Parts: sequence; C-alpha cells; structure tokens
Amino acid sequence: MKILVPLKRVSDPDNANKVKVTGGKLDASGLEWKPNPFDEYAVEAALRLTENGTNTKARVGEVVVVTFGPKEAETTLRAALATGADKAIRIDALDDALDGDVVARALKALVDKEKPDLVLLGKQAVDGDSNQVGQLLAEYLGWPQATFAASIKSNADKALIVSREVDGGALNLKLTLPAVVSVDLRIVAPKSVTSIHTPATHTYPDGVRFAALMAIMAAKKKPMTEVKLADLVTDAATKIKYTGFELPPSRKAGIKVKTVAELVEKLKNEAKAL
Amino acid sequence: MIEWSETHASIRDSIRKFCETEVKPKIHAIEHEGVPPYEVLRKLIATFGIADMARMRFAGQIEKEKARLARAAAEGSTPDAERERAPRKPSPEAGMEMAMRMIPVIELSRYSPGIVTALGVSMGLTANAIMARGTIAQKERWALSLMTLETIGAWAITEPGSGSDAFGAMKSVAKRDGDGYVLSGSKTFITNGPYADTIVFICKLDEGNEPKLRKVLSFVLDKGMPGLTQSKPLQKLGLHGSPTGELFLDDVRVGKDRLLGETEEQPARAATKETFTAERTAVAAMALGLVEECQRLSIDYAKTREQFGKKIGEFQLIQLKLAKMEVARMNIQNLVFRQIEMAGEGRSMSLAEASACKLYCAQAAMEVCNETVQLFGGNGYMAEYRVEQLFRDARVLQIYGGTDEIQISQIARSLLETG
Repeated sequence: MKILVPLKRVSDPDNANKVKVTGGKLDASGLEWKPNPFDEYAVEAALRLTENGTNTKARVGEVVVVTFGPKEAETTLRAALATGADKAIRIDALDDALDGDVVARALKALVDKEKPDLVLLGKQAVDGDSNQVGQLLAEYLGWPQATFAASIKSNADKALIVSREVDGGALNLKLTLPAVVSVDLRIVAPKSVTSIHTPATHTYPDGVRFAALMAIMAAKKKPMTEVKLADLVTDAATKIKYTGFELPPSRKAGIKVKTVAELVEKLKNEAKAL
Repeated sequence: MIEWSETHASIRDSIRKFCETEVKPKIHAIEHEGVPPYEVLRKLIATFGIADMARMRFAGQIEKEKARLARAAAEGSTPDAERERAPRKPSPEAGMEMAMRMIPVIELSRYSPGIVTALGVSMGLTANAIMARGTIAQKERWALSLMTLETIGAWAITEPGSGSDAFGAMKSVAKRDGDGYVLSGSKTFITNGPYADTIVFICKLDEGNEPKLRKVLSFVLDKGMPGLTQSKPLQKLGLHGSPTGELFLDDVRVGKDRLLGETEEQPARAATKETFTAERTAVAAMALGLVEECQRLSIDYAKTREQFGKKIGEFQLIQLKLAKMEVARMNIQNLVFRQIEMAGEGRSMSLAEASACKLYCAQAAMEVCNETVQLFGGNGYMAEYRVEQLFRDARVLQIYGGTDEIQISQIARSLLETG
C-alpha cells in the first residue's frame, strides 16, 4: 500500500505565549517549530500499515510525506523520514499565502501524480485548528473519507474499517481504497492499527515511535524533492481572507473572598454566573 | 564547527523528547527514592538503536583485531607490537560518532548528571578498559554485553587510603597462586558498585618486592564470586542517580583468564591514564547540559518572578548572573565542539589538554549552578525547583575523574616539561 501523509509544522504549542502580533499580522520570528502532533500520529499510523510490526526495518509498503513550507520546513520532513517514511516532498509555499482550500487543491494535484492508495492526515493542525484539508481533499478527489479515526483495520490493503469515537460509542465506517482518512490521538494506542502484515498478537508501544540514531543519519540520504506551488495549482487564490490578528486579552487578576456566602453573592451579582 | 548541524539538532530533539516523556517522570524515584537508573537507561539504549550500533562496532573491531593477529602470525612478528595503534585518519564519521556520544550526555545531564555517570562508567569506562587491553576472548565474554548495557559495569581504582594518589598508595594486591591469582583489598566510591555484574579491579602484583616497584594489573570480576562483597549504595551529597558503593575482596581466587590481556607485561599505568583522558573529556558535555538547563530555568524565572513591583530580570544584579552564564555556556560549548572536531580529524586530547578542559568546565558549571540557586533565592533552596539538585550534582565534577587540584598539577607539569 502506498500512503501519502501531509504533514504540517506548527509553532511549538507549549510556547503559545511567545506568539506575537505586529501591525495586525502574526509574527513568526523566534518561534520554535514542531510537527503538528496529529500529523505525527498520521505518520505513525501510516508506518504501522506498511510494515510488519515485529520487524519494522523491512518495509511492505510506501509512505510519502509532504509539507507546504519554506526550505527550513524540510527539518520536519526529515524527522518523518528518520522514523521510517520512505520519501518526502516539500511544496514551496509560505503559510501566509495558504488556506485549507489551496492546500487541498494542491494536494489533489499531487495525489494525481503520486497515485497513493490512501491519504492519511491529522484531523487538524494545532495552530489554526481549521480542520478542513482532509474533508476538502476527499471531495476534490471524489474519494470516500473517514475523519477523526481512533482505529484503522486494513482489510488486505483493499479496504479499511475506520472507527471514530462518538458520544456513547464508536462509529465504524468501511471504505474501499483509495480513500482519505484523518486521525485523532487514539490512533497511536498499542492496538489501534491492524493489518495483514503484522501478527494480531503484536503490541506496539503507546504513542509515536522514536527514530534510532542511525536512522536519523540515514534520513539525509532518503529522497527529498521540491515542488513549486504553481506547478500544482494554476489558481493559488485563497478563499479565506485574514483581515487581522490580535492576541487574546490578558486575564485580569482574581480576588480572594472570605466566606462562601460572599462567593455566592459575587457569582450571582458580579459575575452573573448563577 | 561553530554550531550544531541539522542532523545533530535532530538527534538532540529526539533525545530531548525521550527525556521529557521517559526520564522526567522517573527522576523523582531515581533522585529521591533510591531507585536504580538502569531500567530507564536500558530503555534509552533500546529506543535509539544504541545497542545495535554497539554490536556493529564491536563486530568490526573484533574482525580487525583478528586480521591483525593473523597478519602478525604470518609475518612472524609479535602481535604485541602490532597492537600499537596506527594513527587514525580524519573521518567525518568519527566526528559524528563523538557527537552522538556527547548529545545524549548533554540532554540527560539537564535532568540527572547521576544517571549519566552510571551510564558512562558502565558503557564507557568499564567496557573501554576491557576493549583496550583485553584478549578477544575477554572482549567477547564481558565487553559486548557492557556496551549494550545488558550488564552493568564498574571500574574500581579508588581505595579508602588512595584517591588522588591512586597508584602510589594502592593497597589492593594480587598474589600468584598456581596458575592463577588470589586478590584482596577494598575499593570505595565505586560507581555502579552495588549493582555491577562486571567489575574491572585494579591492583598491584605482590612479588614480595617494594610496593613502589610493583606492577599494576587489572582483573575482571563477576558479581557473586566467592570472597567478593558489593556494599549497599553509599549516601552522598548529590548525584543520587548514580549508585556508588564499596567493594571488599577477601582472597578472591581467579584464573589467568580474568587477568586483563592475560599477561603481566602490560602498560597498565599508561592505559589507566588513557581512561582518565576519556573520563575528563566527558565532563565537558555534562557541564554543558547543566549550564544550558540552569540558564533556561534562570531566564524563565527572571522573566516571571516579580519583586519590588517589577520582574527580577530588570535588576542589573540578576542581568549580571544571566550574562555570566552565557559566557560560561559559550566557552563550554566551544570545548565540546572542539572535541567533536578533533575526533573528526582523527585526533584526541592529550591528558594535559583534557585536564584543562575538565578543570574549566567543572568550575564553570559549579559557578553557574551556584548562581542559579542564588537567582532563585528561597525557591532555589527548595527541592521543588530542581535547581538545588543540579547544584548538588555539579559539585562532584570538581572531584571525580581527578580533583581540580590534580588537574592543575597535570596542566602545570605539562607546561613546565614542554614549554
């Protein structure tokens, strides 16, 4: 099975307080970049689908990772190559000039070229939290889609049973490949991804795998190609226009109350929460 | 080398993530509850494929050595002369290998210089001592499992009466006994001593001659040998992540197969000095981890802690501390880079250079840790804020692997002899 995994780098969510807004625009200078966690889960799920879990060095499929970004974004791709992805593509573009729609249209053009059996991606990026690319891409491709996957069962690499957690239970969808699937965090639980290549008894460690040191060095030698955005989409106009950015107002200092009665009184009359 | 390469940075980020997710949650148990660090270290080795790399390196070295012995046999020359190490050629791989050794040390030292010490003594010092001077059979028997951390190693030289004067005052002895030897003596401050499976025991051969003239020999001992007692961990000021103990040898009988190199004719003193050089260069990486972490914590604190109505980072006395930390960080980082660069050129530091490097790094790290505690004030004295642990741990850098005073005398002696 060949799987395409779109992967986005985001500013370190643990350092959200370092985000600056200058002149109504987001200022990315001085931010540290990390792979979007949901996309990392997608890479992990894609690797599990294309290997025998008891011998992860022997690949039984192909994982192609792709990102939109400047040259520096290749670091994110290379980290994915180090964990086991086979090939990387960087689409040269800046975040400011993109929205979910342009990304989905460009990915459609890339899918037409790369011909993967499955596009696997994070349910959303933790910077803009748009949650649009997977759904739009499936529509543009005319492929079946399943979103927020908590588990994926590959049926002889011809079809997938994708389970999503919903209120009060799980929603199971059966998709015939090719398809688009977006993943949620539970996809990296030890038994979340199953295929004919890995014995049913195998248990993965919880979470995303680490790259071995040798693999980090070997990642430099794996194929990395650059594609211009214009080669994929003739119309790069975004549908979303950003009119301005501002930081959330800083929280006001709290107050201390002496008695429960006073607390209730303030909640009722000042905060109007009761 | 003026900065970390992209590959270095990827390795660093990966190790850093491991430290965050795997090491950090166990630090309390290791530092304060006496839990040995080996489980988390073994997980590190497995996660990053370090054991596989060690196996490959080991197989390569053994193959080369066998070829060398065969060549010597064919030429009729003695293999001993052949064992003299040929000058190494410059290779970027050797530089990368050094960087791959340094980066985990730096990152782990942010959390626990103790577990770094436990790791380094086992996989580094003890395994290297056997790899440098053992026979092929001895390497296969003991060194490989140390290099993969399947077994834990200890390197025993220090004694209650001999620290800085390691050889001069050494009382541990070996006496010939038939084909083998009987060993006796006691060792102290032995890293991994309480848990070691394999111990390299350094002693003098008593032939009835004057102690000063006695040969220095190294033997390899296994846990549980009759007459060998390994103490419980000793209580220490810091470095709680590294179990330290005493060893007692009461007439331990060993065959010649446990004598390192299986010959009494070996330059044990010179080889031990090589071990000192390796030990000293590793201190630079530990110091860098400590200083980077102290600086990071200090900057955060200076930007958030308020006194007299403003952030303490606005006070010049606090700024001075931060600036001095940066100077130390730059210097130590340059010394780490120098070692990586030298390894890439096929060179390694002389004992005097390694001593100078260790002296500076140990003192600078201690000063930075001390200033960090000061910057944190009362909070710095509290275990909750971690800097007190880093401060306690840094202190040993000025003592182990040769005290500051020993480093100074070695630097000075080298200057006066060659200058």
